[in-house]
Amino acid sequence: MRIAVCIKRVPVMDVKFRIAADGKSVDETGLKFDVNDFDLWAVEAALQLKEKTGDGEVAVFSLGPDAVQEQIRKALSMGADRGVHLKADGTSADPLSIARALAAELKATAWDVIFFGRMAIDSADQSVGPMVAELLGLPCVSAISSLEIANGRGTAKRELEGASEIVDFPLPVVLTVDEGLNKERLPSLKGIMAAKKKPLESKPAPINGATVNVVKMELPPERVGGRIIGEGAAAVPELIRLLQTEAKVL
Amino acid sequence: MSPSNIVFVLFVIAATGFFALNVQRLVGYMRIGLPDDRTDRPLRRLGNVFGIAIGQSKILREPVAGVMHAMIFWGFMVLTVGTIEFVLDGIFPGFSLAFLPTPIYRLYALSQDVFVLLVLAAIAFAFYRRLVLHPRRLEGDNLEHADALIILGMIGGLMVSYLFANGFLAALHPDAVAPEKFASHILGGVFAHVSSRTAHVGYDVSWWTHGLLVFGFLNYLPYSKHLHVATSIPNVYLSNTSGPWQKGVMKGMDLEAENAEQFGASDVNHLSWKNLLDGYSCTECGRCTAACPANITGKLLSPRKIVVNTRQRLMEKGPVVTGDRMEFAHPMLVHGEGADGGAVTVAEILDERRLLDTFITEDELWACTSCRACVQECPVGIDQLEIINEMRRHLVLMESRFPPEVQPTFQSLERNGSPWAFSAGDRAKWAEGLEVPTMAEMVERGEQPEILFWVGCMGSFDDRAKKIAVAVARILTAAGIKFAILGQEESCNGDPARRLGNEYLYQMLAKQNIETLDRYGVKTVLTSCPHCFHQIGNEYPQLGGNYDVVHHSTYIEKLLADERVPLGDGDRKTLRIVYHDSCYLGRYNDVYDAPRDTLKRSLPVITLLEAPRSRDRGLCCGAGGGRMFMEEKEGKRINIERTEELLATGADEIAVACPFCMTMMSDGLKAKESTVPVRDIAEVVAAQLSAQPRAGQRIS
Amino acid sequence: MANIFAFAEQRGGELRKVALEAVTAARTLADATGGGEVHVLLVGAPGIGGKAATLGAHGADVVHVCEHAAFANANPEAAAALAAALLAQLAARAGVFAASAEGRDLAPRAAAKLGVGLASDVTEFSVAGDAIHVRHPTHTGKVIATLALTGTPALFAVRPNVFAPVPNAKAGRVETIAPAADPAASRVVVKELRGGGKAKLDLSEAPVIVSGGRGLKAAENFKLVEDLAAAFGNAAVGATRAVTDDGWRPHSDQIGQTGRVVSPDLYVAVGISGAIQHLAGMRTSRTIVAINKDKEAPIFKLADYGIVGDVFEIMPALIEAVRAARAQKH
Repeated sequence: MRIAVCIKRVPVMDVKFRIAADGKSVDETGLKFDVNDFDLWAVEAALQLKEKTGDGEVAVFSLGPDAVQEQIRKALSMGADRGVHLKADGTSADPLSIARALAAELKATAWDVIFFGRMAIDSADQSVGPMVAELLGLPCVSAISSLEIANGRGTAKRELEGASEIVDFPLPVVLTVDEGLNKERLPSLKGIMAAKKKPLESKPAPINGATVNVVKMELPPERVGGRIIGEGAAAVPELIRLLQTEAKVL
Repeated sequence: MSPSNIVFVLFVIAATGFFALNVQRLVGYMRIGLPDDRTDRPLRRLGNVFGIAIGQSKILREPVAGVMHAMIFWGFMVLTVGTIEFVLDGIFPGFSLAFLPTPIYRLYALSQDVFVLLVLAAIAFAFYRRLVLHPRRLEGDNLEHADALIILGMIGGLMVSYLFANGFLAALHPDAVAPEKFASHILGGVFAHVSSRTAHVGYDVSWWTHGLLVFGFLNYLPYSKHLHVATSIPNVYLSNTSGPWQKGVMKGMDLEAENAEQFGASDVNHLSWKNLLDGYSCTECGRCTAACPANITGKLLSPRKIVVNTRQRLMEKGPVVTGDRMEFAHPMLVHGEGADGGAVTVAEILDERRLLDTFITEDELWACTSCRACVQECPVGIDQLEIINEMRRHLVLMESRFPPEVQPTFQSLERNGSPWAFSAGDRAKWAEGLEVPTMAEMVERGEQPEILFWVGCMGSFDDRAKKIAVAVARILTAAGIKFAILGQEESCNGDPARRLGNEYLYQMLAKQNIETLDRYGVKTVLTSCPHCFHQIGNEYPQLGGNYDVVHHSTYIEKLLADERVPLGDGDRKTLRIVYHDSCYLGRYNDVYDAPRDTLKRSLPVITLLEAPRSRDRGLCCGAGGGRMFMEEKEGKRINIERTEELLATGADEIAVACPFCMTMMSDGLKAKESTVPVRDIAEVVAAQLSAQPRAGQRIS
Repeated sequence: MANIFAFAEQRGGELRKVALEAVTAARTLADATGGGEVHVLLVGAPGIGGKAATLGAHGADVVHVCEHAAFANANPEAAAALAAALLAQLAARAGVFAASAEGRDLAPRAAAKLGVGLASDVTEFSVAGDAIHVRHPTHTGKVIATLALTGTPALFAVRPNVFAPVPNAKAGRVETIAPAADPAASRVVVKELRGGGKAKLDLSEAPVIVSGGRGLKAAENFKLVEDLAAAFGNAAVGATRAVTDDGWRPHSDQIGQTGRVVSPDLYVAVGISGAIQHLAGMRTSRTIVAINKDKEAPIFKLADYGIVGDVFEIMPALIEAVRAARAQKH
C-alpha cells in the first residue's frame, strides 16, 4: 500500500506568544517546534496501516523552510520510509494556496491513502486535507476517530457534535485524522538512528496565488484568574450572569 | 595406602573435578554478559567484604534471622579449617593440625566443637522457622522450599556426622581427640558403652558420611540457590551498591556509539556479567522484597523475583549459547519459582524466550519507585535496581513500550523542558515580589552569585512546592547569601526521563542544562529537590557537568550551625514532628541527619519522632522512578501506606525535604482526612525567621 | 448589492442551531456589504423543505431546497458540489458555513472547487473596501489573527455559539433545486448516524466539562456533578486522579497529567483543590469555574470565576440555576 502523510511544523503551544515586529506574525524567538499533534496521529495511522497490510511505503511530506526537515526526520524516526521536503520560503494564510502546492507534488504518485491531521494547531485551519482531495479528485473523509481498511474499501467514524457517523469510502482516499484515532508512538532510539539514514528529498514548491492574507495578529486579553465572585450559594446568580454575558458559554 | 584410603583419594579427585567443571560452566555463562570493570578501589572493596560479608552487617539488620545466619556463616568459616584437616587426614591418614603451636591448636579444637553446636542450634531454628513459623518474606514468588530444606539437612548432617565421628573416635581412642573438643568427649562417654566393633563401624560410617556430605554439598551448590555460599564473598567485593563511588548512579550510556544495536536489556546477554553473578549470589532470602514499597502494597514487582528470573534465564540460555552440552540438565539448572524447565527446545530458548516478557513482565518493571530499599537490604551486594533500570531502558529505547499515561510527560519534557506542559517563561513566577535575580540579570550587572539556586520544576510550577522555593529564598536572603536562579533558562534535570528509561530524552535535557550552567560558570548549585540534587551532583559528571551540588537540608543546617540565620524565639510550643526520609537524599546520598538537625536547630522546643521505617529503612513516598507520572492501579497506594505509618507516630506535624514527597504525603493526608500539616524543613525554618535576631546571634 | 450564500445544516430532518447561526452571520454580512440577498442552501431527505420557513425567519431571502433520499445523512460530496454550483450561479460575494464537523468538511471542498479563499473558525466580520476582514483565534486561542479575504466569493466557516441566531423575518422565498451531482453516486457514504444529543459526550469534544474532586467526599456525591452536567446539556463529566484512584469514577474519566488533557469552552471544577497533576490537564480551558471550600486552593488562582463555600450547598443551587437559564433560552 502506498501511503502519504502530510505534516506541519508548528510551535510548541505551552508558552506565552509574542507578536513579531511586523504585527502580522508570531515572534519565533525562543520558540520550540514540533510536529503538529494531529499530524503525529496521522503518521501513526499511516504506520499502523502499513504494519497491518504488511507491505508498501509511508512517505512524509512537509511544506515550508529548511527547518521542516527536522519534523520530517521525526516522522521518519517513528517509522516512515522516506521524506519529501517541499521547500517554500514563507507560508500562507490561504489554505488553498498550500493545498495547491501539496497537490502538485502528490499527484505524481498513485497513492492509496493520503493522510492529514484534522487541523494545524497554529493556524487553526482544517481545510488543507479536504482541499487537496478536491484538487486531486479523490474522495475524502475528514476528522476520523476510527479506521478500518480492507479490500480496497474503508470505514471510518467521525465525531460530530453530540453524535457520530460511520462513513464508508473507496480507496484511494484522503483521510484527515482527529484526536482519539490513536496515540502516536515514541520514536525508539533505534528508529532515531535509522531515520538519519532514510532518504529525504528536498524540492522547491512555491506557494502562489493567496487570496487570504494576514492583516494583523494580536494577543487576546490576558487571562486574569483568581477572581472570587462570592461565597456560598448566594454567589450562584452572579456566576450565571457572568457565564451568560461575559464568558458567553451558557 | 589402604584400599579405603585409595577410594577416598579417587573420590576427592572426582568430586573436586566435577565441582571445577561446574565452576567453569557457571563462569562461562556469566561471560555472556557485558563487560563491567570492577577492579578499581580494591581496599574499599575489601572493606565491604569485611563489613558486609564477613561482618554480616546487613544480615544482622534483622535480629533473629540475622543471628541465626551469622552463626551458620561464621561456623562455616571456622569449620572449614576442620574440613581441610579432615580431607587431608583422609588422603594422608593420621594427618592432624596438632603440629600447630599448642595454644593455637587448642583454640582451634575448642572452636570446632563450639561452632558445631552453634551451627546445629541455628539449623534447628532454621528448620523451625521454615516449617513452623513461615516468615512472610520466605513465602510468595512461588518459592520452592525443598532446596532450602535439602541444604539445611546437609549442613545438619555435616555437623552430626562430625560429632559422631569424633565421638566414636573419642570412645575408641580418647587421646586421639583433643581434650578441648568437649562435645566429642561427652558423646565419646556415651559411645563408651557400645562394643569396640560397633564403635569402629560407627566411626567409619560417620567418617564416610561426613566425607560424602562435604563433597556432596560442594557439588550440590551449583544446582542450588545456595550457590551463594561460594559466590557471596566475591559478589560483595565486586559490588558497587555500598560504594566505591557514588551509590545509585545509573550506568552511563553512549547513544552515539557506532554500530550500537542494543540499548538497555531484554535478555541476560544485555546485562553485565556482574548482574549475572548477582543471580548466582541470590539465596532468595527475600529481604529486598520485604522492603520493596511496591511489593508491600500489593504490586506485582518483587526485586527477588527479578534476580531469580535473571538466574533462571541464564541457566536456560547459558548452556545453549556457550555450547556446554548441559541442555539435558535444563530442568535441574532452571530451578526455583516460575521455572518451567520441562519441554523447552533450543530453538525456543534462542528465538522465542527472553528475560523480558517470558520471565519478567512490563508491569513489574514499571511498578518500581527506584527507592533503593532492595539494594540497601541485600546482604550480598546484589543490584536489583540496575537490572530493572536496564530493562526499562530497553522497553523505551528499543520498543517504545511504556504505560500510555507517561507519553504526556515525555512529550512535555521534550517540548517544554518540564514534565508538565507549563511555559518556561513562567518558571520565575514563584519569586515575584521577592527580588530574586536571575543569572542573566546578575551577569548583566557584572556580578557572580555565591550559589545558584536550582528551583526545579516542582518549585517552579507546583503551587504547594512554590512555597518551599519561597521559604528557601527567604532563608538565603535572611542569611545574606548572594544567590541567583536560572528562571526560564532552567529545564528539568532529566531524572524522570532517565528513571523511566528514556535515556535519549534525559541526555538531551542534561546536556542542555550543562551547557547553561557552564555558560554562566556556575560552581555551586543549591537544590530544594533531592532528585535535582542527585541528578546534577552525581549523574551529570557522566556527561561532563561537574558542580558542587548541595541540597537545602545540608545547606540550611550549615547556615544554622554557623548562626547565620536570624531566628526568632517562636511561640516556644513543644512540637512533635516526624521526618519522612526522601530516598534520593537518604539511601542515594546518605543525608539522614541534616534535615533532622535542621529541625532541631530551628525550633526551640521540638520532639523529633521517628517512624518505624526511617533513615535507611525509610519507606518511599511512591513518587520516585517516574511513578509520579504513572497511574497506581494495583494494590494499596504507597503514599497511603506511608501516611498511615507517619500518622501512627502521633506527630503534630510531618516534615519532608522533597517536593515529590510533599505531594504524596499531602495527598495521603487528604485521603485520610487528616488535619496534620506537612511542611518542608525549609518552611519550618522560614516560619521561625525573625526581623529581630536572637540574643547573641551573629549576623553576617 | 451582492448575494451572500449560507449553508444550513440539518440532522435527522431538524435544523441545527448552527444553521441559524450561519444564516444570521450571512445576514450581517449582506447588510454590511450593501444589503444584498441571503441565499440559503438546505439539503435533506424529502420533507426537509418544511424547515425553510425557520431559515426565512432568521434572515434568509431565498431558501434553495434540495430534497433527496441520499441527503438524509450528511453527503459531503454531493452537498459540496451543490454549494459550489449555487455559489457560482448566484455570483455570491461570500459564502458562510458553520465551523462544525459537517461545515468544516464542506467548506474546504467548495472552496477548492471554486478556487477561492476560505477562513475557518471565524468569530467576527468586517468589511474593508474590496476585502472582507475576519478575526479568528489561532495558536490554541493564544493569538487572534485578522485575515483579509480578497477573492470572490470569499468563504467562511463561522465558529459555533458566536453568532447568536437573531430573528429577522424575510420573505423567505423557497426554491426547489436539483442536485449538481447525483447524491446517490457519492463515493463517500455516511451509512449510519449514531447517537443524538443524549449520547454520552466524550471529554475531548464536550464544550462543557463538569469535574469533581476529593472535596465531594464520597462516590455517591458525584451525582451532583452528573446533575450539573445534565443541566448544561452539552457537558461531560470528569474527575481528578485522587477520585479515579479511589474508584469513585472510572480511570477513563481522569483529567490531568496521567489522564486526559482537555480544553473545553467551560470547565467547572467542583471540590478540586488544583494539584499540578490536575492543572496540567485542564488549564487551557477557555473559561474556568471553581467551587471549593478552601479559599487558598490553587485552583482559584487559575479560575475565572471562583465561589468559596460548601459544595453541597452551592451545587444544588447551581444545578437549578443552570436548568432555569437553559429553559429560558429555549
